[in-house]
Amino acid sequence: MRKLTRRRFLNGALLPAVLEAPPERPIQDGEPEPGAALPPDIIDTNVHLFDWPFRRLKYAGAKALVAKLRRHRITQAWAGSYEGLLHKDLDGVNARLADECRANGAGILLPFGTVNPALPDWEEDVRRCHEQHRMRGIRLYPSYHNYTLARPELARLLRVARERGLIVQLAVRMEDPRVQLPMTRTPSVDVAGLPGLLAELPTLKFQLLNAFNATESLRGLVGRRLIAQIRVTLDFSHVEGQGGLGKLIAGDPANGRPPLPVERIVFGSHAPFFPCESAVFKLFESPLGRPDLEKVMRGNAERFLNG
Amino acid sequence: MAPPDTRSFALNPADYGLPTREQLRSLRIWDIHYHGLWEGDLRKHEETMVTVDRMGIERVLSLDIAGTPADPLGERMPAEKKKELRRLLEAHSDRVSVLVPVDPSDPLGSLTKIEEWVANGPCVGIKYYGGNPGSVRCSHADNDVIIRRAGQHDALIYIHAWYQMGGEPRRPGGANQPGESTLEDVAILARRFPDVSMICGHSGGDWELGVRAVRRLPNVYLEFSGSDPHSGQVDFTVAQVGVSRLVWGGHGPSRSYSTELAKVFDADLTRPQREQIFGGNLRRLAGPIFRKKGYRL
Repeated sequence: MRKLTRRRFLNGALLPAVLEAPPERPIQDGEPEPGAALPPDIIDTNVHLFDWPFRRLKYAGAKALVAKLRRHRITQAWAGSYEGLLHKDLDGVNARLADECRANGAGILLPFGTVNPALPDWEEDVRRCHEQHRMRGIRLYPSYHNYTLARPELARLLRVARERGLIVQLAVRMEDPRVQLPMTRTPSVDVAGLPGLLAELPTLKFQLLNAFNATESLRGLVGRRLIAQIRVTLDFSHVEGQGGLGKLIAGDPANGRPPLPVERIVFGSHAPFFPCESAVFKLFESPLGRPDLEKVMRGNAERFLNG
Repeated sequence: MAPPDTRSFALNPADYGLPTREQLRSLRIWDIHYHGLWEGDLRKHEETMVTVDRMGIERVLSLDIAGTPADPLGERMPAEKKKELRRLLEAHSDRVSVLVPVDPSDPLGSLTKIEEWVANGPCVGIKYYGGNPGSVRCSHADNDVIIRRAGQHDALIYIHAWYQMGGEPRRPGGANQPGESTLEDVAILARRFPDVSMICGHSGGDWELGVRAVRRLPNVYLEFSGSDPHSGQVDFTVAQVGVSRLVWGGHGPSRSYSTELAKVFDADLTRPQREQIFGGNLRRLAGPIFRKKGYRL
């Protein structure tokens, strides 16, 4: 019989008596002992607001999304706008995003505006994101905005972002190309050109969103060298395979994948398109120790944002 | 610092709105899409079962015994390797069950394999890969003898089906592999055998199309692994076909259990409904053949 600790007593006996409800939180193997540090909160670097263009989502509104995030102990989320994928008036898109985060974000949503360097006067969009909306970062969607990493304006945009200290998040993909509409052609972004693009910008805060699953160039040895060259930060929303997050950190010799420094990895759910549960489960599917967990759940993102 | 052992957790999932391992175990999860025995690799199987155990999965149903997509009937597999696999299955019938691959481009060879591995062997069903050497889809008439024989043995029938966008003109299913069925192929087959239940793998990948294609066919069950986790997918499917026609697959080791579990926990379901999807429906389908073989349900 297991020892009756104070925590077990409180969870298993006292609370049901008070609340007149059965215990819902059974003790499991390896549960932290009483007196252990509080469980760390999560910073989610990859959420969006509003309507996905092709389907109604359960948690599209800020209020619904915030409630959902809180259920999973996510206390800060960096939010882009699905409107930014197809709208041309990105100034309006970014203004609505900022307003929604302020009005219904409950203090946990940080707006990240959309910038399209293929549009005229994108520089003003960057300025307004930074100065008017007080955004900490911007998002790029090359597939949806139909440009490659070779576009000269992109290099200029990254320089401007670095000068302003803005985080730049580039979405490698948003949706599996195999299930898109016949009229929608948004393949995964070819990131092979990143080293050249970022060579002159060592202090730029740059993150790839939704990488790995369809980004073969990042998965093997060549990809790891590429990541080492550019010191990019990545979220693990699209990391697949059993124990995938742990294998990313520890390496996967059987598949020719060397370790990726844990400091580069941040939590990203890709909610509300993906269920929050997918990324949160990944924290537990791999047998990770608490130090690594704290880094990917919060520490790395905090350092990235504020460093 | 060394990581904790494979059954322990540095943090409590319940603190993050997730079920604990014990809660997952209590759901009695059966995974009908297990690739840990791909190409008969026992080392990979052993490694994969560590995660199966960690995530509280009760039973896995392998889809790759004595067959590969290029050689579905396992004709190139050495006899000794087949014996080794058979011994493994007999020794671990409490955790691992098997659906053997068949080849619709070789119906007679498929019947022989069904007799050897299902009627007179440890296996409980048949599996259609996403393509085959003769490029024959499951809707082709040559499948009828296979389905009829599988039905006679109460064998589970699992059919991989996808709608891969592509081709010219660009369309759903236009980029499918030769012989890779769509859900419309499954629907054609299912109409010919209204009394035989079939499990349609992957919900077609593009599940909004896939569910439509089979929603009026009560003998078609939907498994939904092997695609990105889309919020709302299971809610939609339950609304269209009812909770009793969903079957859960993990698709490990190439997919993450996190991905596949999340699809169900995202949905607004009661606990009994989750129990049905995670294993209850499959146990109902598998009941006759499991009882015949004396396997624990």
